[in-house]
Amino acid sequence: MPILQIKDVTKVYEGKVTHRALNQLSFDVEEGEFLAVMGPSGSGKTTLLNIISTIDEPTSGEIILDGMNPHKLNATELAYFRRRQLGFVFQDFNLLHMLTVEENIVLPLTLDQQPLEVMEERLASIVEKLDLTSFLHKRPNEISGGQAQRTAIGRALIHNPSLILADEPTGNLDSNSSRDVLELLTKVNQDKQTTIVMVTHDPIAASYCDRVLFIKDGEFFNEIYRDDRRQMFFQRILNVLSLLGGGQVGDLSTIRLP
Amino acid sequence: MTFRQFAYRNVVRNSRIYGAFFMASFFSVAVFFIYSMLMFHPDIERGILGEMSLIGMVGAEIVLVLFTLFFLYYSMSAFLEARSHEFAILLHLGMEKRQMNKLVFLETMIIGTGSIIVGIVFGFSFSKFFFMIVREILHLEDLPLYISWEPFLLTIGVFTSAFFVISFISVYFTRERKLRDLIKGSDYLNSLTTYSKIRAFYGISLIVTTYILAFVVGHTSLIGLTLLIPFSATFGTYYFFSDSVPCFLDLARGKRKYHWQRYRLLSLAEQTHIMMDNVKMFFVVTMVSTLAFLSVGVLATMSSYTTQYDRLNPLGLVYKGDVDNPYEREHINSLRLQLEEKGLSYQLSRFIVVKQTSSFTRNEVEVFRESDMNVLLSSYSYPLLNLEAGEAVFIPYSEDSLKKLKDRVVHTVLEENNIPLTIDSVYPKIVFPGSIVSVNSIVISDEDFAKLIHPISDQDIIQPSYHLFTFVIPQWMETKDIGKDIDHLESNLYFIKKDKFSPFYFENAGLNYSYILATYSLFTLVGVLVATVFLLAAGSFIYFKLHTSLEREKRKFDVLKRMGLTDTELKKLVNRHLFPQFFLPWGVAMMHSAFAFLMVQGILRDIANISIVKEVFFAFGFFVLIQVVYFYLIRWRYISHIRS
Repeated sequence: MPILQIKDVTKVYEGKVTHRALNQLSFDVEEGEFLAVMGPSGSGKTTLLNIISTIDEPTSGEIILDGMNPHKLNATELAYFRRRQLGFVFQDFNLLHMLTVEENIVLPLTLDQQPLEVMEERLASIVEKLDLTSFLHKRPNEISGGQAQRTAIGRALIHNPSLILADEPTGNLDSNSSRDVLELLTKVNQDKQTTIVMVTHDPIAASYCDRVLFIKDGEFFNEIYRDDRRQMFFQRILNVLSLLGGGQVGDLSTIRLP
Repeated sequence: MTFRQFAYRNVVRNSRIYGAFFMASFFSVAVFFIYSMLMFHPDIERGILGEMSLIGMVGAEIVLVLFTLFFLYYSMSAFLEARSHEFAILLHLGMEKRQMNKLVFLETMIIGTGSIIVGIVFGFSFSKFFFMIVREILHLEDLPLYISWEPFLLTIGVFTSAFFVISFISVYFTRERKLRDLIKGSDYLNSLTTYSKIRAFYGISLIVTTYILAFVVGHTSLIGLTLLIPFSATFGTYYFFSDSVPCFLDLARGKRKYHWQRYRLLSLAEQTHIMMDNVKMFFVVTMVSTLAFLSVGVLATMSSYTTQYDRLNPLGLVYKGDVDNPYEREHINSLRLQLEEKGLSYQLSRFIVVKQTSSFTRNEVEVFRESDMNVLLSSYSYPLLNLEAGEAVFIPYSEDSLKKLKDRVVHTVLEENNIPLTIDSVYPKIVFPGSIVSVNSIVISDEDFAKLIHPISDQDIIQPSYHLFTFVIPQWMETKDIGKDIDHLESNLYFIKKDKFSPFYFENAGLNYSYILATYSLFTLVGVLVATVFLLAAGSFIYFKLHTSLEREKRKFDVLKRMGLTDTELKKLVNRHLFPQFFLPWGVAMMHSAFAFLMVQGILRDIANISIVKEVFFAFGFFVLIQVVYFYLIRWRYISHIRS
């Protein structure tokens, strides 16, 4: 039973210049899957993520999340839907700088008016799992990028969402922090069977996933599944990427005769 | 595209950003121009209002210019801050700092010129309207519109130099920041100041002290303490915003049960941040609003005093003299002659007032004769008295005394002549101004009065009995010049001959009124100007501050919307975001002014015996209304910006 179904989604931006960002894209995400979406810049990754996160509407086609189409809800229901079903991790963390780490994490629960005991209990378990204790009372501008992204993951997890959407979560991090964050996401995915859809540029990040979906110019291009060895998976991702590069890299170059 | 064209297009195409700045400067120009029109008015110059008003107006204009300078500087730097990203791009592309200064200078001058022109046109078209209002307030006969080059030249000169100065200052005083930081955008919060608990305590206690002082001054006569009040109020307010409020917020944030609820988590954190970031602005807004409230309150007081003057001073002229006053005949004849010359109708009543000791209070009491009193009453066409022997009536000396004496029944004996009296009522209208009649005055019947043979036994009394002449003049406002010679003689006797007890006392209500009216006019002209500009400025400070942080706020709300914030929740959050910024400084300012008025009321009760509660209440209500309207206006703009 897929938790997320994308059915023939097309998105056209009207305006002074009409632009087709997504073109009849379809795919499914199984429950508990860790999916990476890759593609070159302008391939429609962010648009796709925005449509899944319901802050943007598809021009045609539909999305089924957990058995229903969120785009049919009204604005308030939609907000409640996002608040309960979705968790977000952003490239630039988007932590609220006037809140402490701890407050940032419980924010989704306070918005949802959970009782204090529930909040404290969930906070304790998340803090332990993500190892946030040492900087719990600091502010976002006093902690490192890796710590900030861990905080953001904590915020995305605290309300037990059915789907986590991550937009280039390692985009602003150094290699060590990136590895930490990716291992964390993998762990979350395995322990709690949380479904994660991650958009990324980075083949290393993608190699942590169960499956990588490639899109190009808003259309489905290819997909590959992970096998036992991450190293091999990484190689295969690189191969697809080079194909994706426009047909020049990896192709035979034209022979010039003297 | 030349450099000038670039500057021009920058302004024209950034009209949304510059709109507010333009409006602020345009309004300042318009207000300034209208006041210059009044100041240079030929009739005013000829001295309808007297020298003092003119000096006051010049003073007010200077204050206005200084304040406008500060205000424009503040808004200018706010806009430069908001555009820092744009400047960063220009610098990145290789613009020199010198060129950037030139750009800012050109832009400021374009906006300045525009606002001067529009402001003058607007001001000129509304000056007739303004003159009409001034004419009504000051009871002038006519205040025609005129055309003269002076106000135009003054306004253009003052504001051109103001914009000139500001464009230089604001460029040179903007913080020098690294290009890298500028490009990243104004991500702030690197300097989070902390509060100190001691200063937080100082803040609260200084404000409380101020209030207590104001209360004490209002109810005792320790006027000297007034000097302390501005200082303690200023420091108290500053510490209140810099330390006390953050301290309270921090305490509130410590309580999870209270803090981790719905919007509180966000709004409390946000408030802490806003408070700490804008201490100076909140302080300035509070002090400025307090000043505005006070000037309007003083105006309201003055207006209530002038409208009540007529009722509190029913007599046109009053002449009071010793029984053996050598000037009496001469003065009364001269007064009558002068009144007749002027063609003013009058009714003269004369009194012989005798002082006696009352057995009831052991104090002296001034005794009036019934028939004397009835002459005066009939000239007012008030109901006459009809007293039997042994009956007496209190004469009220003020509005308050009317109520106080109404149900009082006193049995007393005039000791020197052994006349028993029952005083069982008060005359229901005020017949003498408070300055003439003592607090212990009664009217007795003619029969009893005839028995008053022995003078008061207390030898220290200076005037055991006196003659009182009252002139009831329907056109009392026109008696300004009557009896000037008597006034003159009186002050001569007092100052030159050092004669402590002049044999007579003369009071001219028309003359006094003309002094009061002149002071009132001065306060009106100065107060209205100051209040308008201050209130406008206080509101605009907040608006500009909001404007500079708009992009940041928008990003924050984007994150929140993604996390699932409904539209109603967004509005509530915005309310909680804006409400304290608008109403906290105003609330504090209102508290300050309320206590200031409590003090003024206390002092006034001793001097003039008038109540200003109603006026102040109306003025405050009006302000609250304006502020609420302003709040909703800004909220509407703010929400639409954030949603876009």
